[in-house]
Amino acid sequence: MAMLTFEKKYRVRGGTLIGGDLFDFWFGPFYVGFFGVTTIFFTALGTLLIIYGAAIGPTWNIWQINIAPPDLSYGLGLAPLREGGLWQMITFCAIGAFVSWALRQAEISRKLGMGMHIPWAYGMAVFAYVTLVVIRPVLLGAWGHGFPYGIFSHLDWVSNVGYQYLHFHYNPAHMIAITFFFTTTLALAMHGSLILSVTNPKKGEPVKTSEHENVFFRDFLGYSIGAIGIHRLGLFLALNAGLWSAICIVISGPFWTKGWPEWWGWWLNLPIWR
Amino acid sequence: MRTITRVALAGLVLTATGCQFFASKDRDVVQKGYRGTAMEVNYVARNQEQAMAELAKKMPAILPPAGESPPGPLPWQNVQVLNDISVAEFNRTMIAMATWVAGGPGNCAYCHNLAAFASDTYPDGQAIYTKAVARRMIQMTRNINSEWTEHVGNTGVTCYTCHMGKPLPNGLWFYTDENQILRHYLDGAGARVVSRTITPSAANRSSVKQTEWTYALMITQSQALGVNCTFCHNSRQFASWEQAPPQRVTAYAGIQMLRDVNTNYLAPLAGTYHPSRLGPMGDAPKAQCVTCHNGVYKPLYGFQMAKHYPAVWGTHTDWTTPLPPPFTTPPAPVPMDTVATAVDSAAAAAAGTGVAAPAATVPPPPAGPPVRTP
Repeated sequence: MAMLTFEKKYRVRGGTLIGGDLFDFWFGPFYVGFFGVTTIFFTALGTLLIIYGAAIGPTWNIWQINIAPPDLSYGLGLAPLREGGLWQMITFCAIGAFVSWALRQAEISRKLGMGMHIPWAYGMAVFAYVTLVVIRPVLLGAWGHGFPYGIFSHLDWVSNVGYQYLHFHYNPAHMIAITFFFTTTLALAMHGSLILSVTNPKKGEPVKTSEHENVFFRDFLGYSIGAIGIHRLGLFLALNAGLWSAICIVISGPFWTKGWPEWWGWWLNLPIWR
Repeated sequence: MRTITRVALAGLVLTATGCQFFASKDRDVVQKGYRGTAMEVNYVARNQEQAMAELAKKMPAILPPAGESPPGPLPWQNVQVLNDISVAEFNRTMIAMATWVAGGPGNCAYCHNLAAFASDTYPDGQAIYTKAVARRMIQMTRNINSEWTEHVGNTGVTCYTCHMGKPLPNGLWFYTDENQILRHYLDGAGARVVSRTITPSAANRSSVKQTEWTYALMITQSQALGVNCTFCHNSRQFASWEQAPPQRVTAYAGIQMLRDVNTNYLAPLAGTYHPSRLGPMGDAPKAQCVTCHNGVYKPLYGFQMAKHYPAVWGTHTDWTTPLPPPFTTPPAPVPMDTVATAVDSAAAAAAGTGVAAPAATVPPPPAGPPVRTP
């Protein structure tokens, strides 16, 4: 396999967080490291537990396989394996695997001598997941508030949680999160189309430079945020999408038990037009 | 690295304290379905307990049991309902009703001519409409407790369930262009807007506006009972009975009960009430869920008041003298679209197109109060 241009820089010793030199080696093109080992361990164990859960469950239909959290009556205690205990173990494995992956990213970033942007960015998605299955359930006092692991079942959970608060689109943090998600995709679409255009010129023409990029957006929008700027903006939008998703679900229940439309009473009661 | 560790530790400590703070007993979530389906109802326990304490303070005490009735023939004079209970129980019930509806045990004058309790008219000869209405309400109460056990269970209702010490219960409604959705509780104007087909088809002509009406109707129930959508529905398929919690059956029986109550008892009283009690279109006040429920899914938090009052039980609801007699033409139910047309045409009339005013399309209220003889 040919060496990629950055591999000389990548394949250096050191930068590990745990384990020193012990796991500081490559498996083919893949860096291993202590957290590579723990990632593989938790991923394999978690996946096998899901398969086990499917095996003792009523169906092998991929859409309908469901690993459900315990009944609320178990509170924050451990549940029997077949009554939510499996969900608890799988959740533990998932968090172990996700956090290991983030820390492996941190080790690679250290090898490359770059900032921690990538582990923090990925960490935001992990944080949103942890909010759903740990922080909010703990705040509400029962693991049963976590979402079930299943393609259809988790959608049913989302729907019912939304209707617990009568109309989730009135959740202000949900509004902000959705806005960030849409803006992220818009920014990516604009940036991606621009890059594809400048790197695929007409036959006989040279690949365009960042001056062309800037000129296009100055013509198109009156402003070009620039080559570094678009990546900063993209990171900002994407991280906020994840952050506000986490906020919008963690405030539903622990901080607000009524319907979300009711929350907007403050707007109707503003002294200007009340 | 050390800073990161410190921040992480501080974060852990903060999270742990936060958990201690927010995971208090305050928030109560009741599981209503299979685990992991989020079929749950949310409460703030503190508010609930406060509301229960307030209700317990103002709820009238159960009257001591009626003593022995005097011997001899029944001394009824113009007692047209409740003449199947003992004299002592009858008097006890009258005192209870004064508290339940008229604000105090001594407020007999709300329904009676104090100079002649048996009379149906005041000394000046004017009909006592409250007495006539009360008779019909007693029949209605017995009808609810005997015919609608699917909704009221064996808890039953008394006058207090709705009236709560006041002459006018909460949530009474009249025909207006703003609450057409409540027609569902009278003549069953359709609330079914869910499609039965995967793709849009001519089978379902429901508009967005009709869907909004159904949503608004459902929200009146949600607020009346202090519950959320998942109390009665699995939101993965709102229309499906198979996937719904059993509470939906109780609620459906409640809708049927409301239609019975509104159609057969409340709406026909339009000719009996004093005109000041009628709505802008001359219709009688009608009930909805909140009228009895008052914000909780078991009225009076499930307190069984009715079992202490034999007068509100019994299958005898149809006394030989149906009261108030005679019902002059009760207002015919107006279909929802007629009301809509009326509203639209009112706007059109205002715009000077000369379309008939609403009064022309809606049946007029029945003529003045019927004359009653004792």
